Amino acid sequence: MSAAAVRSRRPSQAGPGGALAPAARRARLHRAVRWAFLAPAVGYVLFAFAIPVGYNLVLSFEQTSPATISHLTAPFAGLSNYTATLGNPIADSAIVRTFSFTVLSLVFQFLIGFGLALLFNLRYPLCRFARSLILVPWLLPLLVTGVIFKFLFQLEAGAVNQVLLGLHLVHQPIGFVLSPGWAYVTVLIANVWIGVPFFAVLLYSALQDVPVELLEAARIDGAGAWQRLVRVTLPVIRPVIEVVFVLGFVFTVKVFDVVIGLTQGGPANSTQLIATWAYNLSFQDFNYGAGAALNTVLLLIALVAAPLYIWLNRESLRGDPL
Amino acid sequence: MSAVTRRRLAATAASITALAALMVMLFPLYAVIVASFETNSQLFGASHYSFFPSRFTLSNYRVVLSQQGSHVTSSLIVALGTMALTLAVALPAAHALARYRFRVTALLAGSLLVAQILPSIAIANSLFLVYHRLHLLNSYPGLVIADASYAVPFGILVLRAFMLGLPRDVIAAARVDGASEWRAFIRVVLPMSRSAVITVALFAFLNGWGDFIFALTMLNGNTFEPVTLSIYTYIGEFSQNWGEAMALAVFALLPAAMLLIAAQRYIAAGLTVGSVKG
Repeated sequence: MSAAAVRSRRPSQAGPGGALAPAARRARLHRAVRWAFLAPAVGYVLFAFAIPVGYNLVLSFEQTSPATISHLTAPFAGLSNYTATLGNPIADSAIVRTFSFTVLSLVFQFLIGFGLALLFNLRYPLCRFARSLILVPWLLPLLVTGVIFKFLFQLEAGAVNQVLLGLHLVHQPIGFVLSPGWAYVTVLIANVWIGVPFFAVLLYSALQDVPVELLEAARIDGAGAWQRLVRVTLPVIRPVIEVVFVLGFVFTVKVFDVVIGLTQGGPANSTQLIATWAYNLSFQDFNYGAGAALNTVLLLIALVAAPLYIWLNRESLRGDPL
Repeated sequence: MSAVTRRRLAATAASITALAALMVMLFPLYAVIVASFETNSQLFGASHYSFFPSRFTLSNYRVVLSQQGSHVTSSLIVALGTMALTLAVALPAAHALARYRFRVTALLAGSLLVAQILPSIAIANSLFLVYHRLHLLNSYPGLVIADASYAVPFGILVLRAFMLGLPRDVIAAARVDGASEWRAFIRVVLPMSRSAVITVALFAFLNGWGDFIFALTMLNGNTFEPVTLSIYTYIGEFSQNWGEAMALAVFALLPAAMLLIAAQRYIAAGLTVGSVKG
């Protein structure tokens, strides 16, 4: 409904003679009560989101040092934080790595998750049980998952190396968290493991909504299983696939805990992502301005998804109560 | 081959594949639980992986319980606080946004969606400096306020969507009967929104329990340490004592596992409406 229509519904503000009529006073009280319900949330959003994001932007243009922590402002530094931070090869490769990590994570999460969703969609014993158990990885604290994978992929006591050795697939244990290439793969495996349940469950509920008559009709028309999947199922569940990818992007570009738990960005910065490197700059080097500059980059990348995310959730923007 | 046999064969094949996939997916958790009952010499001495170790020990748990009990308590306080704050902020807001027309509704809902996207590390960077000035570092209130940022936007949006579906006549009737707005909210709206409230409460709890970023940046470990932070410190200091580290990990994943068993319905509901982590 338009703002004009809203305004016209309001009773007139002032009665005859300029004094407030009782009806107007009541309307004002009503409005105060409504805003009282909303106030804590508005205050919270300002304190926990708006101020930190705005302050982050300010910090990124300031010359900070451990000595400036006690002051809210520091000397203006122009673009030097950005040029210094983005001129560093570690930051550049962290940005590139964040992109490759996100793309690879999403591809594998989708392929494995969709495979599991198709399996869940068939009827067989223990199906419900399997569906609920699969959720566990999604609910674990992310840092704990990182630590668990660090243990699993250890050189000596790690279960993965022991299983590989036992199956004679390798003759020497692999230094998964010790060599740069393997460390990246290990973090990727952990992150895919976390995201698969989310993809599987959402895609499964989408598959449940594909009309059976549509699939039957395709079968009668002579379409094979693969054709039914590509020509009927995928187009029908496409909206859900879009949602899942946008959400997946949103929570993969900010991956932090898993990396810290598993490799802390090492060895030799080979698993450093934007978030972990920004943490290093601010909380290890105490260069909050540089960290803020890199965080601004991270914010911009994450916010690329914002228009899409809002569009997918356009229902929730509806101003009108029913 | 008849159609029935073929279908039965397909079902068997699907069961076996699904079971295999499930075993691979859940193997990490199995390995953690087994390792938590093993001694370090067992873990390091093994030349190949033993799915069923010959000897089980409780010594890891004994050590963890005596040394880490206070961290578990801290995590519980943080998680419950996060849950309480999230509900206190989100419930009234969701009610107001569902029941009244504000000129800012679309703007507010849009900001909440954007807030869900913001990376926590970018928030933590500047919030640390704000907290430093406000003396909120190393305090429960400070950490709880930061941790609620995971669930407040999600909570408002989910609760509002649910409340929009409530029958308006019932609320209107309560108001006509003389109930104040607040009483109508407490006595009528809240009980009818029970399932959505439980979903949001569970996710807020799990977010508070599982938070690491804010614990890492806002605490120096001298006052209190939630379990996530203490595991991290632990593997840094005693990186070779994996049996104990895994016993501690079991404690850290206990709430998620228990809630999944007790309240699976609500968790699945939260997942499908898109709770974004981190």
